[in-house]
Order: sequence, then structure tokens, then C-alpha cells
Amino acid sequence: MSKQLSRRDFLKLATAGAATSAVLTGCGPASRYVKREPYMKMPEYTYNGLSTYYATTCRECAAACGLVVRTMQGRAIKVEGNAENPVNLGKTCARGQATLQGLYNPDRVENPTQQGRGKGAASQMDWDAAIQVVAEALKNNDPSEIAFLMGTAPDHLFDLVSDLANAIGAPAPVRFGALSMFESRATLSRAAEELFGQSAMPYFDIANSDLVLSFGANFLETWISPVSFTREYAQMRRGKPRKRGYFVQFESRMSQTAAKADEWVPLRPGTEGLVALAIGKLVAEAKDTAVPASFEAIDPAEVARTADVKLETLEHIAQLVVDSEHPLAVPGGTAVGQTNGLATAESVLALNAQFGNYGMTGGVYISPLGPNQDEYHRPASPEEMLNLIWKMKDGKVKVLFIHGVNPVFELPSHLGFLDTLQYVPQVISFATFPDETAVASDYIFPDHHGLESWGYQRAVVSSQPVLSGAQPVISPFFNTRATADVLIAAAQQAGGQFAEALPFADEVAFIQSKLSPLVGDPDGSFLAPEINMFSAYFQQHGGWWKNDPALSAPIASGALTKKLDPGVAEFSGEGEFFFVPFVSPTIGEAGANKPWLQELPDPTTTVTWNTWVEMNPETAHELGIDNDDIVEVMSEAGSVQAAVYLYPAIRPDVIAMPFGQGHTAYGQFAAGRGANPVNILSIHFNAAGDLAFAGVKVNVKKTGRKHELARMEGKVGVYEFRKE
Amino acid sequence: MAAIAKPLSRRHAEEHEDPREHLMHDPLPRGKMNEMVMEAMHETGWKFWVATGFLTLVVLGALVYAWYYLIMEGLGVAGVNRPVFWGIFLVNVVFWIGISHAGTFISAILRVLKVESRRPFTRAAELMTTFGLVQAGFSVFMHMGRVWLTYWMFPIPNERMLWPDFHSPLMWDLMAITTYLLSSTMYLFLPLIPDLAMARDRTEGGWRKTFYKILALGFRGTEGEWKNLTTAMNIFAFAIIPVMFSVHTIVSWDFAMASRPGWSSTVFGPYFVIGALHSGMAAVAIVLFLLRNTMKHYKYFIRPEHFDTIGMLMFMVSMAWAYFYFNDYIVPWYGGDVWAKLFQEWAEKGPHWYLWYIMLFCNIVVPWSILWNRKWRRTPWLLAIAGILINVGMWLERYIIIPEGLTINRMPFTWRVYVPGIEIALTIGLFALFFLLYMLASRLIPLIPVWEVQEGQEAHLIRKIGKAEISTLSDME
Amino acid sequence: MTSNLELPVFTNNSEAELGGKWGMVVDRDLCTGCQACVAACSMENNVPFVGETDMAYGRGMHWIRVERLWEGLEADYQEVKMTSYQPLMCQQCHNAPCEPVCPVYAAVHSMSEDINLQVYNRCVGTRYCANNCPYQARVFNWRDYTDYRPGNTADNDPSWSVLQNHLNPDVTVRRRGVMEKCTFCIQRIHKAEDTAKSEGRDVRDGEVVPACAQACPANAITFGRIDDPESMVSKAAETSRGSLLLEEMRTQPRVTYLAGGA
Repeated sequence: MSKQLSRRDFLKLATAGAATSAVLTGCGPASRYVKREPYMKMPEYTYNGLSTYYATTCRECAAACGLVVRTMQGRAIKVEGNAENPVNLGKTCARGQATLQGLYNPDRVENPTQQGRGKGAASQMDWDAAIQVVAEALKNNDPSEIAFLMGTAPDHLFDLVSDLANAIGAPAPVRFGALSMFESRATLSRAAEELFGQSAMPYFDIANSDLVLSFGANFLETWISPVSFTREYAQMRRGKPRKRGYFVQFESRMSQTAAKADEWVPLRPGTEGLVALAIGKLVAEAKDTAVPASFEAIDPAEVARTADVKLETLEHIAQLVVDSEHPLAVPGGTAVGQTNGLATAESVLALNAQFGNYGMTGGVYISPLGPNQDEYHRPASPEEMLNLIWKMKDGKVKVLFIHGVNPVFELPSHLGFLDTLQYVPQVISFATFPDETAVASDYIFPDHHGLESWGYQRAVVSSQPVLSGAQPVISPFFNTRATADVLIAAAQQAGGQFAEALPFADEVAFIQSKLSPLVGDPDGSFLAPEINMFSAYFQQHGGWWKNDPALSAPIASGALTKKLDPGVAEFSGEGEFFFVPFVSPTIGEAGANKPWLQELPDPTTTVTWNTWVEMNPETAHELGIDNDDIVEVMSEAGSVQAAVYLYPAIRPDVIAMPFGQGHTAYGQFAAGRGANPVNILSIHFNAAGDLAFAGVKVNVKKTGRKHELARMEGKVGVYEFRKE
Repeated sequence: MAAIAKPLSRRHAEEHEDPREHLMHDPLPRGKMNEMVMEAMHETGWKFWVATGFLTLVVLGALVYAWYYLIMEGLGVAGVNRPVFWGIFLVNVVFWIGISHAGTFISAILRVLKVESRRPFTRAAELMTTFGLVQAGFSVFMHMGRVWLTYWMFPIPNERMLWPDFHSPLMWDLMAITTYLLSSTMYLFLPLIPDLAMARDRTEGGWRKTFYKILALGFRGTEGEWKNLTTAMNIFAFAIIPVMFSVHTIVSWDFAMASRPGWSSTVFGPYFVIGALHSGMAAVAIVLFLLRNTMKHYKYFIRPEHFDTIGMLMFMVSMAWAYFYFNDYIVPWYGGDVWAKLFQEWAEKGPHWYLWYIMLFCNIVVPWSILWNRKWRRTPWLLAIAGILINVGMWLERYIIIPEGLTINRMPFTWRVYVPGIEIALTIGLFALFFLLYMLASRLIPLIPVWEVQEGQEAHLIRKIGKAEISTLSDME
Repeated sequence: MTSNLELPVFTNNSEAELGGKWGMVVDRDLCTGCQACVAACSMENNVPFVGETDMAYGRGMHWIRVERLWEGLEADYQEVKMTSYQPLMCQQCHNAPCEPVCPVYAAVHSMSEDINLQVYNRCVGTRYCANNCPYQARVFNWRDYTDYRPGNTADNDPSWSVLQNHLNPDVTVRRRGVMEKCTFCIQRIHKAEDTAKSEGRDVRDGEVVPACAQACPANAITFGRIDDPESMVSKAAETSRGSLLLEEMRTQPRVTYLAGGA
């Protein structure tokens, strides 16, 4: 080293070194930050750093929970419950929380699309062309050959379509939803009709009851209005100063609801009606009163044998009833989804009559009609869907409009809805998501997401009439258009009777026309002198409701004298196991496209992102099946495959599967994930026309493959290696 | 520790049958030994290059690329999860620090106790210390979620106005390991100076000449230089012993200070030190076997007697380890903590119960059944196999404590089993790197401290005749 | 609630601070396990989803999880019972085991709020805090779960960036290699405290509601000031059903659990 390093050279080198290290740091992982986007055009009412809150209505199910959505700089940030809305009083369920992931979902239908039934490439259209298509479909077909198939939400669109159908002489719109199918709503209201002479949804005052006997009603999961039922459950448990409400669940598998019960009575599926009657008789005997005619013929010991429960258990429950002040029996879920479902529902309602709780605190009432409602809108029973399918098959439907429902996925494939679509020359879907039905349609004219929409929804079960209002919380994110606006514009374009049927400027004008009868109501939650101010309040408060409860007591006269014979349900198929499908409490009927709902653990099994088959460990052991083994569940209608979850709290003769997954379309988070249990349901209806979804027997075969179910729980600590 | 020295010296006294069996009694002229060592360093066969090339490829693939991938993807590519937040990375940290222990132990403690048979292999053991610490450091960095911010753990003034938290056992660890790395490197370097000077003098030009010239620090072997060097080595030999003991105690505190069942144990400090010696001794046996059989002339330097010494140490350490291991059962038993009991049951009866049995077999059964026999102890390949098995056992012991043990916490809902992912590749890469470094070192520095051997041999050439001690150096020449 | 094993606590705080400031009461009897709290928390706090594979391997990022165990598994299926659902989030221990083990002060105690903070941008990812948490309440960003840009090494689809529109601007989006946990929705606490301060008053009871408590349909979660004996949360914690999780660890958690069942 003869050459001396000059100071200048040293500095050069040092700088180069520093520059190199800086560049390296810059390229390093630490410099990769999330992209920030400038907010070029600030929408009205938006200020930097300040949130704006909008009241609206949740559309993840039809329960009409009020939401308040926090928005910031035109983006919906967080869903919160609307504390004013009597349905949910500021609370939400998981599906409501995740509705944002439906709004900002990468798989939404972004433009009106000529879908071409999934054959060949779909092509985008503009909205003028789309309205043209709808107008021609209305105009060029005989009104009797136009069919509307609507979902259970939103109500305002159903009202608009009903008005349109009425005016042009088309058949009334059919309304369907998987949730209502699994809730057997038709059966419940039919049972009320049979016993009370009034076709209405019975209202169960769980909150004020101190003993709840639930016959399969999964009211803490997805049943009718889970948020309000959960609140009432909490009140039943801890709402009263002295006595903690007691809760018994009769169900063949421990559902999330049964897990919260003090006693879980795993009876044989299909015997719930008999058990209800036996309890009625035992109660009468324990009370030393005359046994009512309805329960006369029942032999509790025989029933206990049939239902595979101990007679002492039934006697013990009867004693609980005797010792309680406000006993209540609730029918629902799999108990009603049987061939004898109607008789079972009637038996449970009769048991309530025996308790003497009709119209009493903690008893059974009749739900009030929603505001602006003249008769109970009952969702279509699967039997009515079958009628529609037959009609389609006979070529009597020339154009089918579908909104808010996904029958290809939700109806048992055995009903053949997908195949029948080919007999309909034109199928127009208004789906927000490319679901199975939309994909099989000719056109998809995407509706806004619920949070971008106007509308209203009536509460199904509520002590007071509630009209929950919806308004857009952000401007539409994609090139979508409200279906109501599309129909109104198309009707105007079609002219004549169509234009007369919908003489509105837009959707908001239609909603105002529906709200105007309420303007002067002195019992309303707010008072407004005229419709514009009423509408403003309606938006601000997130709806309108009566201040006072409007429950009516059922007329109980015939309930205890009617001869009831639920018997044991009939099961179709030669299988070894009873098959119990249930709606996934976290995913529901349409949550599979939202990644966070997929990631939520099922409350009982803690499984995420997939479908599982619940099987008693003993049964599985006999069949040589272990956790995560993929099995084929076969019924007479078909077979599905899913991984096994050894579920300790299920009868050994029962196999259960959640409904909600198994999509073939519906976006990347849903498609190709899990299995759809409705595909193995055979088509049997109960006396009310509801599907006997729990009336199937199945066989189980090991496939030899495995799929590790993504459980939240660690198997090690929960099952294999337990403390103590 | 006097107990170690005594039996050794007694044995020396007893064995008169063939004095030439001992290196110390089989002297060669210094020039000859220097030549032998230099030749071993210079003469490189094709096998060496093939092995080096292979190891380089393994290091590039399984270490460099795998680590790059790990950094870019995040720790998701590893097998860590909740509750097993620490996986094989930490197993490797403890393992390599354990390996690094034997170097110092053999070199410093045996030097302090003047155990003669240490002389030819102190260098090999010290190198193990330094390279082991390099592996341990790499493992720590691999383990971190954001390794590019490692410097945030250094106590240096920074723009964030934030000092590291010295409450954290990890900081103690960082300090201890850094201290240990620095001091053990110095301690490696000091005795190396005369040999580097020797190499410098025997090298004719080229980059090697420059290399040795720089590293030899101008050492010429004057009386004054030797005096200073000996003083420095003595100071280091004494000073590094507490550092060595503290390092592994502090490593054990990473676990013992955590409020986890099975970890929070006062016995962990000495237990980890003994465990470290156990694996370290075994590793020395392996390295000696490899050196003896791969390096030219090394059969002269490394003899069965050295394996005998190592074997006895291994035997003794194994017994001590067994004591501490079962002590670790008594302490929780006395405490009566249900969680700690579950922790132990998990190791014995959990899904990976076989690891526990393999560990006990390797750590206790193997050494106890091989090392009691003097003849077997003097069989190099047998000792190498025992060494490998003990290292497998000690690695498994750390595996059982860390990822297996982490399964058990106080929230049974979260208990999950750990399945290693990219850690396997990285572990292979680390082992490859260790051997690669060793192989490169074997070409660059004399792995036998010639001057130390020479010194010992000269000392042994003093015979006792009557009451007089007479040098027999002249016999030899 | 009082333990007969009162050992000295290694803090030098005043009695008032030992009492804590913000606290929570979770009623296990009311919790129906419906996961609304989990969804609400994830939406409020930008918690990413990790997908099926990582969920199956125990890498879910849920800041709050609903635990449940089984009883009577050895018995007949009729006797099997599920334990009460137990929503478990960071217990905001006063004497937090996670804090002293962090080498870089990423897990620190907030003296003003008396809760545990996780400073994401300090975290270097040693994961010692998570090991030391007896409640296993901490979650780690094993991958870049929120980074959807094309070319990103994580297996995320670039089209998912649409989902980023609902990210909460008040909460940092975390990247890989960082530990995180429940914060008691500290952004909401601060907002309410700022509002109260600007209006010259104290924060009212019930003014601050974390996302989980806000969503809970059963009202099983109560939140508020535990240094105020009149607050709802203090009163709820006083019932005979109340207990602290792993009280024997003497972590002094700020979450009281009310017993389920009768």
C-alpha cells in the first residue's frame, strides 16, 4: 500500500458507502408501505378527519336491524347498530358487521352485463341498453307469463314489484330465501292459523319468560331475528332482579342455542311434537288438573321410549314448568322442518296454551303487522317454489326477474331449478354478486349493495310495528343502479299500463309515496307535518316505528281441545343416519363471499372457511372414521363430500352439516369451498308446504382422503390432552 | 473441578507400558511438526474441493436463499404459530451456543488446570466456539419478525430517542452473547499468533504471506513477546470461564424468566450449562474424529488418548446432565403446579413421545454404555458416533423444551402442535455453514497449536533420576 | 376476588393506579358465542383475515376469540356439556408479563390509561411477549396479510385491494413481523377523552364503548372506568359471580369474568 489515501478520496468513498446503504434500506422491506390515494373530489358533508354517520338498514338477512354506518371521506368504515331501532337497539350480529366486505368486495358485478347464461364470454352493456332490455321484456310478453322472484329483503322493492304485478295483471311475485326455508316460517304462521284462526307469525316473549323450552328453535343463531332474540335471551337470563331464567333445548345435536341451554335433551329427530304433548300431560298431572283433550291420548312413558329420552327427564322438565311462573315453549328449526312439522308446531303452541301463557307476560302473542302493511307477507314456502318451477317447466314463464335470492344455490338441487331455467326464454337477474343464479341468467343488471341503497324493511317479529329505513351511506362504488329505478325507468319506457303502474320519478319518490300514509300517525316515533320532513326524519332516525307495543293475544279457545297427533316424522331414504342440516350461524345464507365471515369460527365447532360433517365420535369410531377424514354423505337425492368433525354433543344416529358453503360461483372467497347440504335433501313437504329439510336419512362412506378443517380451537387442549 | 484433573494425572503415572503412545512422550523436532502442520494446511485434494463446493451450494440454497425467502414472505413460511411462537430457530440458538461452550471449556478450564492432553485440540475446540456463536447469532436473526430492524436492540444513541429495555432477558442474552463472541474470538486469536507467525515464516509470498503477515501482528518469538502473550492468555483463560458459565445461564433465563409452565424453573441455569457441555464435548469428539481422518499427518497429533480424555469428560457430563434432568422433575413436583405437570406429561405421552425416549436414549443410555470402557473410549469412530448421537439427543432436548413445550400453556383452547417448515432447510444450511467455515479455516490457519504441543513435549522430556530432574532433550537430537 | 396469596407486586405505582382506569366485565352467562364481537373488532381494528391454511395452523389474527371447552367427554353423549362461552381478549394486566420481556419497548404500559400498549413500529418481532402472555391474547403478523399489491410475495390477490376501502383510518395497518393485540379500542377512548376535554368535563360512563361491547347483542360486555365505583363496569364486577382469569399469576387483569351457568 504505497499509495496514500487522500482525504478527498476518503470522503468520496464514505459518501458512496452511505449512498449504497441508503439505497439498500430504501429497497428493503421496511420501505414498502400501503398505497395512499389522494381524495380529489370531496363529497358533500365530508370533512377531512371527521366521520359522518348514516342510519340505514342491514340487508344481510330480513330481520330489519337498524345500522349506523360510520363513513369517512366517502368510504364506509364501520358498521354500528342503530340504538334507536327497536329491533336491535344498537346491536348487530357478525354478518351485519361484515357487510362492509360485501360492499367493498372484489367480486361484485361492476357493470350491467349480458351474461348469456354463463355460456361464452359475458359482455358489458350500458344502463340505457339494460333498461331497454327490461322494458321490452315487460312490454313484449303476456303479463301472465312474466314472473318475479324476490328475496326476503328489501321490502320496498317487493312492494314496488307487487304493485307493478298487480297493475299489469302479472302473477304476484314469489318470495323466497334459504333462511325462511330453514326457519319454516310458513309452517309457523300456518300453525298459528290452525290454532288461533289467524295466519300470523307468533311472537314469543322470551325476555320475560323464566323457563324457555325450545323445541329445535335456534333463536340464538339465524332464526328470524337473531339479534333481537339474543337480546331477549340475555334479559331472560339476567334481566330480572331475582330469578335467572332457565332454558331447556330439545334438539338432536347441540346447536349454538342448545349450548347455551341449561339442559340439552337430545331426542330422536321427529319426536319433538310427541315430547311436547307428553310434557303437557305430565304438567297437568303434576299440577293435579284435568288433562286437556289435546294431551289425553299421550302415554309419556311410551313417548320417552320413542324419543329415546328418559322418562325422568320429561318428568323433571314438567316439574320445572310447575315451579316456574312464566314458562314458554318455542317451536322451530329442525323440529318443524319435518314431515310432521305442522303438527309439531301446533303441539308446541298447544303446550303454551296448557301453560296458560297466551297473551301473558313471557308468553305467546301474535306479531303486529308492519307499518304500511295490510296483510302478512309470508315468504314463499318451498312448495310454492315448486309450483313456480312446474310453471316454468310448462313454458308458462316467458321472462323471469330475479332479485335478492339465489335459488340455484339455496333450493335443493333435486327440485331442479337450474335445469328448469332453460325452459324460460329470458332470465334477468338483478344480483349484486355473480351468484349461481346470476351466472345462469341472460342478463345481470346489478343492484346497489344494501349500503348504497334506498329502501325500507319491516320487522318480522317485534313487539311494535317497525319500518326500518335504508339510505345510501356512500355513493355507489361501481356502475350499479337501483333495481327499483331500473324497473321504474323501464316501465316509463314501456309506456301504457306499465307507466301508469309506476308513476314515480325514481325510487325515492316511490318510497315517499309508501311513507305518506304514516305522516300523520300520532303514535309514531316522530312527528312530521309533511312528507318531505317525514322523509328527512325517516333517514335521520333510520326508520319509523310505533312507540307502543301492538301485540295481540291469540284466541286460545280451540288450542287445548284440538286433537293433535304429531306422531313420529317420516324419513325418506334408506340411510342409517338422520340428517340434520342447519344454517351456519356465522355465514348464514349469503355470507360466504365475505372473507371475514369465512374466517369467523363456528360457535360450536370453531371451524372456519369450510363445510364439515358433524358425527358422534363413537359412530365415527365404529365406521373407522377420524377427524378431518373426507366422507361422502349419501341420500336418495344425491351425495356431498366434506371433512368430518367428531362432535361429542350429537346423537350417534345423527349426522349434521352446516348450510352456507359449497358455492360454485359467488366470488373467489366462496366458490369451490365446502359442500352444500341442500343438494342431498329429498323433496318432501310438511302439511304447510314447507320443506321437510330434516326428514332425510343418509349413509356415510369414507373416501380415504383427508382435509384438515381450519379450527380455531386447538384439538390438543380441547380433546386429546386435557387438564384434569 | 480438581476431580477432573486427578484421574487423568493418575493414569499418566500408571501407564508405562508404551510411553510413545502419548503425544507428549512421542516428540518430534519442532521443524518437523511445523512442516507437518503446514503440509496439512496446504495440500488440498480434490475431495476437499468437492466437499467445499457441495457445502457452498447447500449454504447458498438452504441458508442464503431460504433466509431471503423467509424475510420477504414473513415468518408464515416457518412452522411457528400460536401458541408455539418460538420454533426450531431458538432450538438452534441454544444448540449452537451449547456447542460453542465446549471450546472454551476445554481450552480455558483444561488450560487453567494444566491438563496435558488438551494441547493438540484446544485450537479445534476454540474454533468451534467462534463458529458456533456465528450460527447461534444467525439463528437469532432468522427468528426475528423484522430482522432488518435488529439494530434497534443495540444500545446505541439513535434518532428514536429510545434505549433498549434491559429488563428483557433478550437484552441480557444479546449482551452476554456479544461479550462471549468477542472474548472467545480474542481467546482464539491469542494462542494463534505464534502459529500464524510460524506460517508466515514458512510461506513464500502470495496472498497467504500477506494474510499471515497481517494476522501475526509482527510476532517474532522474542522472550518479551512470549511473556506478554502468556500473561494475556492466562488472564483470558481465567476471565473467560465465568463468561462461559454466565452465557448459558443467561440463555436459560430466556426461558426460566418467562412465566410459562415448565420453563419457569430455578434449576434451568446450571441445567443448561451442563446441557451445553454435554453437546459441546460430543461435538469436540466429532470434530477430532474428522480432523484425525481427513487432515494429513493429524493422526500423529490426535491420538486415542485424546479421545480417552474427551470420552471421560463426556461420561461425567452425561451423568451430571442426567442428575439435572431428573432434578427438573423434582422441582415442579415439589411446587405441585398442575400446568408444569402437564408440560412433562406432554413430553412423555404427547403425540411426540418418541422424541422424549430418543432424547433419553441418546443422552444417557448411549454415553453410559459406551464411555465406561477405556478401550471403547479410545476407539475414535465409536466416540464420534456417540458424539453424533449425544448431539441428536441434546438437540431434541432443546426441541422438547421449546416448540414441544410451548404447546402447553395456561389456555388449553389454544394448544397446538408445531410442524417445522422452512426451519428445516435453514437448520441444514446452518450445519453446512458450520462445516464450511471449519473447512475453510483448516486451509487458512494451523488447526494444531504447534507451539503448545512442542512446549508440552519439552516439558515431558524431563526425566526423574533419583532425586534429580534431568532434561533428556539431548537424547532426541 | 381477593387472593390470600398477596405477594409484593413489582411496581411502584400509587394505590390509585393499582386500581386501574379502564376495565371490562364479560358475562359468560350471557355470551352466546355468536362472534359478533370478533367481527366488530376485526372491522374496527383493521384485523386481517389469513385464509384457510393459516387458520388451520393456528395463525388466525383475531384480537378477541370466543373460547369454549367440553365437559364430560368420557361420558355418554347425553351428559356432554359445553363450558360457557368465554370471549378472550387482552386482559390489559396492570402487572403485565408481556411488557418487561420486550427488548425494544414495543410492549409498554400506558400510565395515563393503565392499559398495555403495543407500539407496532417499534416491534422487531422477537415474539417473547406472546410467549409470556398467560392468556395467549397476542397475535403475530406471520405474513403481509393486508398487502394486496401486485407482486407482493404473500398469496393475496391484487384485486383484494378493493377491501382496503373499509380500513379504519384511526388504526394502523400492521405489516408482517409485528405483534399485535386488543387495545381496548384506544382510538375510541382517546376520541371520547378529547371530546370531554374540549367540553370541559369528565368522560361520561358509557361514553366509550369498544367495538366488541358495542356489537354484542346479548350485552355480555360492559366497559368503563373501574376507578369510578359508581360506573356500570365497577358495579358489574362486584357481583359474587366475578373472577379474574388466572388470578394466581398476579397479573392484575382489568377484565372481570362473570361465571356462566346458574
